[in-house]
Amino acid sequence: MRQPRPGSGPQEGRDQGLEGLLARVARGDHAAFETVYDDLSAPVFGLIKKVLRDPAQSEEVAQEVLLEVWRMASRFDAGKGGAVSWVMTIAHRRAVDRVRSEISAAQREQKAAPDPVSGPDDVAEAVEASLEGQRVRRCLDGLTEVQRESVKLAYYGGYSYPRVAKLLGVALGTVKTRIRDGLIRMRDCMEVSW
Amino acid sequence: MRLQRHELHTLTGSYALDAVQGEELAEFERHLSHCPSCPAEVRGLRETAARLALATAERPPAAMRGRVLALAERTRQLPPLTDERPARRGTSRQARRTRRVWILRLSVAVAALSVAGAVLFGVGQSNTQDQLNSIRSQLASAEAHNHAIAAVLAASDARLVSSPTSQGGTVNAVVSPREGKLVVLTSGLPALPASKVYQLWLLGPSVARPSGLLSQQHNGRTEPVVAAGLVAGYKLGVTVEPAGGSLKPTTTPIVVMPLAA
Repeated sequence: MRQPRPGSGPQEGRDQGLEGLLARVARGDHAAFETVYDDLSAPVFGLIKKVLRDPAQSEEVAQEVLLEVWRMASRFDAGKGGAVSWVMTIAHRRAVDRVRSEISAAQREQKAAPDPVSGPDDVAEAVEASLEGQRVRRCLDGLTEVQRESVKLAYYGGYSYPRVAKLLGVALGTVKTRIRDGLIRMRDCMEVSW
Repeated sequence: MRLQRHELHTLTGSYALDAVQGEELAEFERHLSHCPSCPAEVRGLRETAARLALATAERPPAAMRGRVLALAERTRQLPPLTDERPARRGTSRQARRTRRVWILRLSVAVAALSVAGAVLFGVGQSNTQDQLNSIRSQLASAEAHNHAIAAVLAASDARLVSSPTSQGGTVNAVVSPREGKLVVLTSGLPALPASKVYQLWLLGPSVARPSGLLSQQHNGRTEPVVAAGLVAGYKLGVTVEPAGGSLKPTTTPIVVMPLAA
């Protein structure tokens, strides 16, 4: 049931199965939720930890997100996007909400001010881990430096785009367009089908 | 400051990465609702962002699995939306998100307290899961039915203290010094005749303040009771009183437990 369709990328295959699973979760099927957990807890936790850095906080937030998936499964609408991105959107928003809440933001900035040139570049190690990751890495390499750093600071760093502009020392309007151009290039490079 | 349309449109990328905040976010979401090409673009960029997420996958601690699945067991799901518009657009997204976060924090806090409870009971390995489940279901009904209880459980300084009573059974209290409140739950207290009742007291150096009556037991447990007006150094006492309760304790407490850390 969760086999990828021939000719589709790994995410399409994953989505196809997950959409069915989410529909079952929406009907209160705990076994389906277990499978969703097994499929998505690592990306959810990994993304949140990427943004928050603190493992304990990340675990707490990841737990909230996965429960949210359980609670909100009936709101997932396959017509509006894939299952993976639905879950990862929840995860990213939650991580960003947390990191921008006063205390943790202050702590994080103190703990590790990002280096604007290299950005949070331990992405590399995690990325090597999967095929998907290698693709992402390759596509990221295809962006201009400002595009790449803007996208990484905004997504993996959880910074608002005005913060990104400040960190990179470029104009607000520039960051806005670089993020959009960069993402569009990533989309085309990874052959995202939406 | 109003942004021009085309300026707004370039926000699709930042929006897909959750990098737009505040008033600008509200403005962009308004724009999104009547910009024909925007939703498709945002969707594609969100899908792209999800790929970025998959690249960071990292296995969470193994213990998280059991916790999440157990929480799901007793977390009510939302029904499908009949009308999607109110939940998808508008400036109250932040408010809804805050509320959702609050509810989830509560669930997580409850789970954390349950774990703490199991540790405090010193229960054996084989009983741990039962204990957890029983406290969880007690707390879960509390959470569903009573805001005051939920507020205590959700307080960032909430702690669980437990003590056996001289007559058997256990009294558990989730205490929030900051809220000045505690939630009292019991299990396994000896059943009382209808003419008697267990009464709670907050005990200070020279006062015994009546702080609520415990309900008849159901499955060996009483309904959670919130006691307010907690002062630092006060203890919780439980006595057996005539039905309806007393103004002052008339019997020796079956338990007196300190509530401080």
